[in-house]
Formats: sequence, structure tokens, C-alpha cells
Amino acid sequence: MVASLSRLPVPDCLKLCHKVVDGLCGREPPRRADYSATWSLEEWLELLSTLTAFFRLAVGSNSSDEEVLAGLRDVVSSHSEMLLSVVRDREEEIHRALLDRTNCISSTTLQDFDWQLKLALSSDKISSLHTPLLSLSLDLRENGDLRPVTMEMNREELNTLITSLEAANKVVLQLK
Amino acid sequence: MEEVDKILIHALKQVGTEVSEEIDSVRQFSSELIVQAVVRCIQVIDPGLGSSLPTSLPPGMSARFRVGMSLAQACQEIGYKGEIGYQTFLYSNEPEIRSLLMCLVEKLPREGAETSDQPTGKSVVLQRGIAAAIKAQLAVPWLPTHCRLPLNIETQSPEALHSFHAQPLRLSPFTKGPEKKQLKVKKNYQRDILPPVTAQLSFHTSLMASLLEKHTDELSAAQEWDNEWNSQGLLSRLTPKEYRSRKLTRLRKRVKEQLRAAEVPASESAFGGSRSNTDLFELLQTFKGSALSDLILTKGTHFTHTKKFTFEQESASVTNPIPSGHQSESDIQDRQQMELAALQHQFQQLCSDGDQLTADMKHISVTNTQMLNELKQSELGISEKENKMQVKKKTIGLLPDADDNLLKLQVLVEASTKRLVNLASQWEKHRAPHMDEYRTLKEICSNHDLESSRMMSEIRSLHDKIRISTEEARKKEEMYKQLVTELENLPQDVSRSAYTQRILEIVSNIKKQKEEITKILSDTKELQKEINNLTGKLDRTFAVTDELVFKDAKKDESVRKSYKYLAALHESCNQLIQTIEETGTILREIRDLEEQIETENGNKTVSNLERILDDYKCIRHENSALAAKVREG
Repeated sequence: MVASLSRLPVPDCLKLCHKVVDGLCGREPPRRADYSATWSLEEWLELLSTLTAFFRLAVGSNSSDEEVLAGLRDVVSSHSEMLLSVVRDREEEIHRALLDRTNCISSTTLQDFDWQLKLALSSDKISSLHTPLLSLSLDLRENGDLRPVTMEMNREELNTLITSLEAANKVVLQLK
Repeated sequence: MEEVDKILIHALKQVGTEVSEEIDSVRQFSSELIVQAVVRCIQVIDPGLGSSLPTSLPPGMSARFRVGMSLAQACQEIGYKGEIGYQTFLYSNEPEIRSLLMCLVEKLPREGAETSDQPTGKSVVLQRGIAAAIKAQLAVPWLPTHCRLPLNIETQSPEALHSFHAQPLRLSPFTKGPEKKQLKVKKNYQRDILPPVTAQLSFHTSLMASLLEKHTDELSAAQEWDNEWNSQGLLSRLTPKEYRSRKLTRLRKRVKEQLRAAEVPASESAFGGSRSNTDLFELLQTFKGSALSDLILTKGTHFTHTKKFTFEQESASVTNPIPSGHQSESDIQDRQQMELAALQHQFQQLCSDGDQLTADMKHISVTNTQMLNELKQSELGISEKENKMQVKKKTIGLLPDADDNLLKLQVLVEASTKRLVNLASQWEKHRAPHMDEYRTLKEICSNHDLESSRMMSEIRSLHDKIRISTEEARKKEEMYKQLVTELENLPQDVSRSAYTQRILEIVSNIKKQKEEITKILSDTKELQKEINNLTGKLDRTFAVTDELVFKDAKKDESVRKSYKYLAALHESCNQLIQTIEETGTILREIRDLEEQIETENGNKTVSNLERILDDYKCIRHENSALAAKVREG
């Protein structure tokens, strides 16, 4: 399927491949609207998946130039050269993305977190409170779906959270 | 007095009295101004007491009198001990007003001083900052959404705040690859295709977050490595690279053990059963195969091991034959279904076959090793027996000529013992210097060890010191910043240094004056003493002369005359002394009176008297008017 890349000239192809790698690394993937004239939808999806798989395999198995080229026997030589150069250019990035993927092997992983510190000055019953509150929002990826979790804690609750997290970190350090 | 007046006027201005710029001493205060200043001071000192007092004099004379009375009472209640009455305010004189104002200013609560004396912790500053921010925000009027300026958007529309979402960025060029060709290719990529950081993201809002995230990521990684290297890496006495590779192999071993431990019970419980077990088994096989190639990686985390797991699946999916060619769809689907079913069937069969085969293989390999062991043991036994047999063969061959052979044997034995002794002595000869050398080398080695451990401890202590001092420096820098901001916030209009200098000058002046006073006092004491001495001497000489002359006076007429003269002289001298003393006291009285006159002059008595007379007339006028009104009513 990679062979159908030859429908595009090399410079455009290079851009497309870099875009695919961008998508692989968690940035914006290429848009189909830009290439709808060249490939049908089915072909497009297939091309994307094969390209991603190709990049992952090439970087993941640490293959040499010859091995990569051997996997691209059915592609025009200029294009295979181009693909190789993309692999070599983005090796570190793809490697990092793959590590991240492996890192997120468990069913639920933490994608992002954000916090806000608020100072409650008063409540409906107490005129002067002066209690700092921390609202922590976690973006969890649970089986591929994003699930936001938000919680608000006062000082003691935050301390408990931090101590439990530290205990978890200790376990991780022991594993090392 | 000018200094005092300046301080007083400054304090009064702070309290809220409107003192105009031209007035720079208490002498220039009008009654109006005095009343206003006093009332403001009382309001600040005791708000309950001051709330009932008016800040300006009423036009009516009797009302003015009443205001003066109430003000005087209020001042006494606050604690002014001097003489005070309505006349203090209405017919002011400078010293009285000054002492009253000084008393009031001293009693003013010193908010500024108290707050600046407080320990200015971080939380206090923070709270103050929060308070200031809230105050500023409250001061900004609320505006409808469309009228908001960029200034107000920050506080009034919550949609301007973005949540923190980070995306991976590519920032710095990875300059690790030493090959020039690769670098060149990378440069091409960075020049032609890599977009700038601001264009790398799909959402512009997450740029800051992504940058921060990347930065903290790199920072924390560096810090962790630093910590680990300082705590464990230095102790292991390896180069960083060696340490890393060693850690990598250790981790790999650990992961392998873990996986094996997880795999064994599963395969035992369902031998040749579910797919996942065989998968894991295959995985382990690949692990063994790829362990060598993994060693090439210089950088290692514990992910490297599990990485294989993911990529294995990847490769499986890629190597699957990708269907090519298009035919009529239903046909294709049917055929695909069929094929799929057949293939699945085949696959399952193959799987079960494979499982069986692996089980057989295991069994066979176990028996094989057993057999090999047996074989080895029997071979050993055979060689032993062969040795024994050869010895026996030789002895049998020697038996016929036993005596000769015995002798020969003895000679041989002796020669060999001699040789042995010889060799032993030679060995000793060789051994001794070697042993010495060995010992010295060992000593040197231990010395080296000691020194290196000492150096290690030194390095560690240095590291600790560096950390501590950087922390300290940071703390001090923060403190300095805080203090600088506080200093900027402090009111700058009163120059403290000038005041302190004045105070010091005054103190030194007072000291000088005190010295002079003590000098004068001692002088006067001396004079007094001298006077007393002289008077005593005079009295005694007079008594002696009196006696002598009196004795002679009885005998001689002329002497009697002279005695009379003496008595007269004494009397007139006494009179003279008395007059001198009297003049002294009168002079002192005159001086006192002059001073009194001066103070009275300062009190503006004449003008005050005139004003009192005027006011008296006013009051009489008012009274008569009131009486007329009453009569009319």
C-alpha cells in the first residue's frame, strides 16, 4: 500500500510523511481534505495506517538502513530514500512517542493535569474564612476515552494526597 | 521650636487637618485651625468621643463658648494634664497650644510603625497582595460583554482562562548523532519542514502550557539524574556511561524475572490452553533472541524492555498480507469469509499442534539432559577404571625382578625427594620477594582506596555545601526582593535620617549644657564656701580686736574713742553687706518680673483682652436680642 505514495511527487510526499509522524507523536495529523484528489477515503485510511505502522516498526525494531529499504522493495527508489530520510530525521521523536505509548500500558492513564489555587474569603455562615483551596483537574484517558476528573481540597486533604503520591513514588523508585 | 512645629504640622496633615502651605509654625495657627486640628486628633484617638464634636467653629459667640468648653473637657478626658479651658481655643497663646498639640500627637495610634515592626512573612505579603488585587478589581466597574476592554477581560470573563493542555513539541535540534551525514539531513529537515514552535500546535492556546510542560519535563529529568548520580552513581565509581549500561542490564534482568514469574503459573494452570499464554511464551522467546541487539541502546529506562512487547504486535500486524486487488464486493466478501474461516481453523490447528510440540519438546529436552548426564558419569567411571588398570599392568610387569626394581625405586624416590627439597628452597627464594612486593602493592592499594573514599566523602560534602549555599542564596535573594518592595511601599515624605540627626544634635547640646550647669554650680558652691570662710574670719578678728581694744579702753581715753570708731565701722560695714545682698535679691526679682512680662507679652494679653471685651459685648448683644425675642414671644 505504501507503493501508492508514488502518486505524489517527492517534495509533497516528504511533507505528508512528516505530517504523519507529527500525528504519531501526538500533534496534528495530516488532513484528508488536502489530498482528497489523490486518494479515495479507503485508500487514504489504509495509507495512513500502513505509514504509521511502518514508522513504528522501523524505529521500534531499531532496524538499519538496509533493513528499512528491504521492507520497501515495492516502492520507487526515490520515494523509499525519502521515507528512509524521514525515519532517520524523526527517529528520536518517534522513539519517544513509542515509549510514551508503552508507558500508558495500563487501562487508565493520566493525560494532563491542571490546578488552581483559590482563597475562600468567606462563606454563607462565616464572614472571615481565609481558607486556601486547591482545585485539581485531571484528564484521564480511560480505554482511549478522555474523562475529566475535578476535585477540590483544603490543606489537610491536599497533604493526604501528596503523602499518598509520595508513597507511590517510593514504590516506583524501589522498582528501579 | 521650628522642628517641633514641622513635625506637629506633618502629623496633623496625616490625621486629615487642612493646614495650608504658608503656615509653618504654631504661632500662625488661627482659632479655627486649632479647633479643627484638635477635633481631628480626638476623632482618631477616640472615635466615640470625637464623633459628637464639630470640626469648625460656629458663628454664634455663645455656641463658640460651648464648643470650647466641650473640647477642653474632651482633652482632659483623653489625658491632657495642663491647664485647659475654653480660653485655650478661643484666645490662644502659642506655648499652651503647642503643648496641647504635642500631647495629642503623642497619643495618636501609630499604625504605620506597628505594621512595619511586624515580622513580614511571605504569607503576610501574599495576603496583602491579594487584598490589594481584590480592591483594585472591585474598583473596576462591571461592563457588559461587548464593552469590555482587554484590561477587564482578564478578571471579568472566565472564558479567557484556558485549561492546561500540553502537547509534545520539537524544540532543540538533537545533536547527539556524531555522523556528519545525518546531521546534514537533519539540518535539511529543520530548515525546510519543521514549523516554528508557535505553528506546531493545533490549538494556539496550549502553546504556553506545552512549552512549560516540555521545560519541566527536561528539568525534572536532569534533576533526577543529578540526584541519582550524586547519591549512588558517585559511590559506584563508574563513568556515567558505564553506570547507565549497568543499570540497564539490571533492569532488564528484573523485568525478565517478573515476566517469567507471571508466565510460569499461567502456563501451568492452562497448559496449551488460551492464546494469551502462548503469546507470552513467544514474547519471552523474542526477548531471549533480541537481548543482544538491545544492548546497543546507550540510554535505558525501564520502558525499553516493555517496548518490545508493543512492537512485537505492531510487526505482526504489518507482516500480515495486505489484501490487494478489487473484485465484485459480495464475491470478495464471501471468499474472504471463507478464507478467513479456513485460515482461522488452520491457525487454531497449528496453534494446538505448536503447543503440543512445545510440550513434547520440553519433555524430550528434559530426558535428553538426563541421558547426557548419565553418559558423562559412565564415561568418567570408564576413564578411572582404565587408569587403575594401567597401574596394575605395570606392577605386574615389574614383579619378576623384584629386588632390583625395589632398589631402583628407592633411588628414584630419594632423588625425587631431594629434587623436591631443592625445588621447595628455590620456591622459597622466589616467593619471598614476590610476597613482599605483593604486600607493598596491597598496602598501596588500600591506601589508594582510603584516599579515594576520603575524596568521595569530600566530594559529597562539597555537593551538599553547594546545594545548601544555593538554597541560602535563593532565600536571601527573595528576602532582599521582598524588602526592596517593602521599602518602595513605605512612605517617603518624612526623612527619618534628618530627624535622627536632629535628635542626636539636641542630645549632644543638652549634654553640653548639663556640663556647663554643673560647672557653674560648683563655682557658686566654691564662692559660697569662700564667703562663709571670710565672714567667719571677719567675725573672729572682730571679736579679738573688740576684746583687745575694750581692755585698753578702760585705761586710755584715746583708745576708748578708737573703740567707738571700731564699733561704728563694724556696724556700717554690716549695713553695707546687707544692702549689697538686698540689691542682689532685688536684681533677681527684677529679672523674674521681666521674664514674666515677656511671657505675658507672648500671650497676646492685650489683643486677647480686646477680643474678650468684643466677645463679651457680642454675648451681651445676643443676650439682649434673645431677651427681646422672649419678650416679644
